[in-house]
Amino acid sequence: MMSERLLQLAWRNLWRNPRRTFITMAAIAFGYTMLLFVACLMAGLRWQMIENGTCLVMSQVQVHAPGYYPNRSIQKTLGGRQGTDVGAMLATITADRRIYAAAPRVYGYGLLSAAHRSAGVELMGVVPDEEPRITILNGQMAKGNYLTARMPKGVVIGDKLASTIGIKVSSEIVLLTQAADGSMGNDIYTVAGIFHSGLDAVDRGLVLMSLSSLQELLHLAPARIHEVGIKLNDITAATTVAAGLQVQLDKTLPVRAMAWPELAPELASYVQFNRGITFVLFFIFFLLAVIGVMNTMLMAVFERTRELGMLMALGMRPIQVIVLILTEAAGLTVASLIVGGALSVPLLWYLQVHGLDLGGATGEVISLAGVVVGHLWYGRQDFPAYIEAALGLAATTLVSALYPAWRAAHFRPTEAIRQV
Amino acid sequence: MTFMRWQKRSVAMFLGLALLSLAPMSHAAEDQHTRETVERVARLFSSKSSIATVKMEISNEDGQRNLSMKIWSLGEKVLVRISSPQDEAGTAILKLGSDIWYYLPKSNRTVKIPASMAMTSWMGSDFTIDDLVKETFLTRDYSISTFFEGKRGGVAVEEYTLTPKPEAAVVWGKIILQIRQADAVPTWQGFYDEGGQLVRELTFSEYKPMSGRLIPTRLVMRAADKAGAQTTIEYEDVAFDVPISPGTFSLPDLK
Repeated sequence: MMSERLLQLAWRNLWRNPRRTFITMAAIAFGYTMLLFVACLMAGLRWQMIENGTCLVMSQVQVHAPGYYPNRSIQKTLGGRQGTDVGAMLATITADRRIYAAAPRVYGYGLLSAAHRSAGVELMGVVPDEEPRITILNGQMAKGNYLTARMPKGVVIGDKLASTIGIKVSSEIVLLTQAADGSMGNDIYTVAGIFHSGLDAVDRGLVLMSLSSLQELLHLAPARIHEVGIKLNDITAATTVAAGLQVQLDKTLPVRAMAWPELAPELASYVQFNRGITFVLFFIFFLLAVIGVMNTMLMAVFERTRELGMLMALGMRPIQVIVLILTEAAGLTVASLIVGGALSVPLLWYLQVHGLDLGGATGEVISLAGVVVGHLWYGRQDFPAYIEAALGLAATTLVSALYPAWRAAHFRPTEAIRQV
Repeated sequence: MTFMRWQKRSVAMFLGLALLSLAPMSHAAEDQHTRETVERVARLFSSKSSIATVKMEISNEDGQRNLSMKIWSLGEKVLVRISSPQDEAGTAILKLGSDIWYYLPKSNRTVKIPASMAMTSWMGSDFTIDDLVKETFLTRDYSISTFFEGKRGGVAVEEYTLTPKPEAAVVWGKIILQIRQADAVPTWQGFYDEGGQLVRELTFSEYKPMSGRLIPTRLVMRAADKAGAQTTIEYEDVAFDVPISPGTFSLPDLK
């Protein structure tokens, strides 16, 4: 009953001077909006980094023969020298409902030569109709077309490689490689398309061709593939799905299933770094909030010296004064968070849907930690962070209110009521 | 003076590996005997020109492959052409100056090999393209010292340690060369990395007179990190100082 009356009293006190309350509320609400803004952008950056980093060529989960990664020895195909039933393996993998799509791949290293210039390249063999379901390079074509099943001797190369070697779409090139049997695999191919991914290493060194053509060049039987690339419905499940696949596939043949944090440790550590930065930003903000809110609360308490002195003169104990002021602070915070949260909704929606345009009119591509981010910085809803921010702000305001409350509790009623 | 001519004209030939071309010994630091012996070994394979018929047997965990090839050399120019197996016959490597070209009959194309690729395995063997066509100036790039003199397996041998000179652009940390004392023919050569670990070893045997010289006609290369794998080269015929037309080494005629 006592607490109920305190609550009532606190609520009335808050509206005794609406302007003061509104100013404090505005500060907290604005602070909360800012935190949500930062959290949303940071989450968006993380998501964009992971999405672009994994979807360009890598994919989110990869299955190899044990010992294949990272040296990529041409001999270490899935199922060893006999290879494996690729169709059956893909069927087993895609049976998992968390998996969006899976596609087989073959890799090799070789020399690309045209006219009198040549360059060492990485050869990647993919199934033209299946690969676009797990990676997005097909959407990055600057000139010409992506691979098609109709053009088995077509290759797709990066724009930097094309300009270094001096080749255009429909140029003829020779690929020279060391085949699986030790012989010099070589053949003539036609450039079907030129892509621009924005990632230097890819634009400079990757040659994409059809899986069967690369198997032929490397003298690998059709049953021999190096990798199955997998795209998930929910990328956050990557590590769990990889662990599950490891157990599931290992029943029939030895494999190694790896999720993107293991395949791209630099990307994983960037994500950690990003989370760390978000935390530090929150922490700095909370520190600033402590000072700001404490100042407001302190002013509010001093303004009400007479009123509080009156209450104490009427028999309110110091502890009750402290509880009263803390209750006021709590009420203020909750109201502010609701207002701030409500005001944030359109902002967060805008960030997620339209993004921030960093490149401006130039449309320049920005890459970070070896990943193309694009010139639009999209936000991403990060509800755990929003809740953390709310709890953090609530804790901050309560901590800030402690000192003013303590000061109020030490007023001497006789002196306090005389204050104007 | 003769040595000066060697440096310019010495022939980098397949079997030589690092042995072939000896530049003149520049310093008197190495003692007379050491110098003369190593030079004599080098001279075994040095000539203004040569034509060799070679068989190569590559065996590793993937099985065994046999190649036959013919090697022409004239000055610094080298041409290697594969004659069997059938599906690789006609494949050729031409070295002109510091450029290396590959002729690929399947694609009917001539491709220039970048320097970075010259250090990779050739045709799946334990030899690199560099081994095949590059000449190394042992006495220019390495300091030579006697390291062992005595019997190994009942044969009197001498062993020399070749340490790279500071300014030399070489890949090895050191080379050990073992020579049979009786006739100064090489018996064994070990290539070590900078940490002193044996990286690969070359064993010489089957000494036969060829074109008036007693040379090892069988060379076996083993890489230390590839157990069970080895590449054997057998010289079926070598002719030294034979007249070869410079046109043999023409790039347009590589086809």
